Amino acid sequence: MTRFSKLFFGLLVVVLLLWQVPWAVNYLTVERHATPFTLYSEVLNDFALIRRDDGGIEYADRRGNRYEQHQFDSLLPLFYARQLVADGRFPDSIGGRPVSPREAQAATFVFRATPQGINTPTPGIRFLMESMSGRVDLEMPADAFRLTDDGIEFIDMAANRIELQKSARFTETMRRKGVRFPVTEISGNPTTRKEYDEGYVLLDADRQMFHLKMVQGRPYVRAIALPEGVRPEHLFITEFHSRRTLALLTDDRNRLYAVCMPGYEVRRVEGVAYDPLRESISIIGTLLHWTVCVEGASAERYYAVAADNLALLDTLSYPLSGRHLPGLVFTSSRDNYVRPRMQ
Amino acid sequence: MYKALLYKEWIKSRWYLAAALVVLVAFSAYAMVRLYRALAMMGAGHIWEVMVTRHAVFVEQMEYLPLLAGLLLAVVQFAPEMHRKCLKLTLHLPLSALRTTGMMLLFGLAVLALLFGVSLAVIVASASPVLARELVAQIAGMLLPWYAAGWAAYLFAAWVILEPTWRRRLLNILMSVLLLRIFFLAPVPRAYAGFLPFLIGATLLAASLVWLSVVRFTAGKQD
Repeated sequence: MTRFSKLFFGLLVVVLLLWQVPWAVNYLTVERHATPFTLYSEVLNDFALIRRDDGGIEYADRRGNRYEQHQFDSLLPLFYARQLVADGRFPDSIGGRPVSPREAQAATFVFRATPQGINTPTPGIRFLMESMSGRVDLEMPADAFRLTDDGIEFIDMAANRIELQKSARFTETMRRKGVRFPVTEISGNPTTRKEYDEGYVLLDADRQMFHLKMVQGRPYVRAIALPEGVRPEHLFITEFHSRRTLALLTDDRNRLYAVCMPGYEVRRVEGVAYDPLRESISIIGTLLHWTVCVEGASAERYYAVAADNLALLDTLSYPLSGRHLPGLVFTSSRDNYVRPRMQ
Repeated sequence: MYKALLYKEWIKSRWYLAAALVVLVAFSAYAMVRLYRALAMMGAGHIWEVMVTRHAVFVEQMEYLPLLAGLLLAVVQFAPEMHRKCLKLTLHLPLSALRTTGMMLLFGLAVLALLFGVSLAVIVASASPVLARELVAQIAGMLLPWYAAGWAAYLFAAWVILEPTWRRRLLNILMSVLLLRIFFLAPVPRAYAGFLPFLIGATLLAASLVWLSVVRFTAGKQD
């Protein structure tokens, strides 16, 4: 017993050293690290960047040309549309395409996803909002739902009781439309702080993709055909102002796709490699381009994509410094779980 | 002999255990009163929503309570042994020192499990009529690592108190504080998921550290 006690004590000392020493070293030697804010310019047809350092803010392009702030606004007329409109400098056309400020603003969106948002314990209770209430403002529903092995169960929150009729109606409709339970992946954004509601996109037991929402109290279920050979892994509902996309998804080879509306056409976002379990993504979309930024472990990768056909236009990569003493950690910026791992 | 040993531990700690039970049940009941009050004021929809989207659990004020309960139990059980210098007598009972130490720790772990069980039962029984089972599990998932911390605090405190030298005692305190931190890292409910059984297992193995202090005590180590 004494030998075991000594061994266990030694093990705890090793665990603490592996945990605390790298943490202290990394904490004390941390360096300020910021990659430039980068967007694809529809005027330059190249990336434009804003660098922030101790000397202030620098506006530049990839070739090293420097700009004043008001000049930089004009390089990104769709992103800075409001500023240009306020200054009376918004152009009539961009690249020969007539553009109105309203059109520019309506098409602009920002999308972000982090591994922490995916690798997180979820309670399994969700809310399905009414998508077509006839009112301008969205309202949270009076019931919640859970997905079971055989269907969907709605629970009246005030009574904490299962709504048998509604549950049966939705389950039956989902089955009739081809959903095979249990649902394996689901994405939705039930909040009143958005303009409209598209409910959820989900993958069934066969990894087939469906769109589920509630329209005037009734279930709306639609199968989404995927291109041949695509095995979807992770879904992200978008609900952007422009309504040009329903969702983004990745497949088992970490390729990115968009479900384009109307018509539910699934198109590949060309060239983009993105592992949702390990990498963060941000997309700044305008009427003409998407600037996709994928933050990996060793580099921050930028992809410029044409907004109309999602074709790859250009790429840019910022290597990230890897000076980090590895050690034992219990939490990670990649997930919301507590468990020991070397990082 | 075992019975007598357990009775001795009971005599030492009964008033403390009664007080700990009252405090734990009071805090558990208060947490549930807060939940019911919030349900009455804001409506079930809002409360379910904040529990799902913002990870509200309504038991945050209980975070360090099990830790404190475990720590104080160790003080109540083992400080008199050291202060009145009766540990030497205890270890000379017609029972091996290992079994005597084991019985004392087993008593402490068992009564703590009982205290935490009652607290959890109060919370689960109160929350179940008004929350979906997933949300009740979310509350329990937040509480379980804190209860495990109570066990760990008990064993670490026993390890520190029974240690005969102050130099080593300070090292034990430092290690205990750092190790207890592991129980309070959850960014969201149920964050410990698959790790919790291992953490509880490792916590129970910490009983072997107490034996290390006893061995040093019987070997006559002193400042």
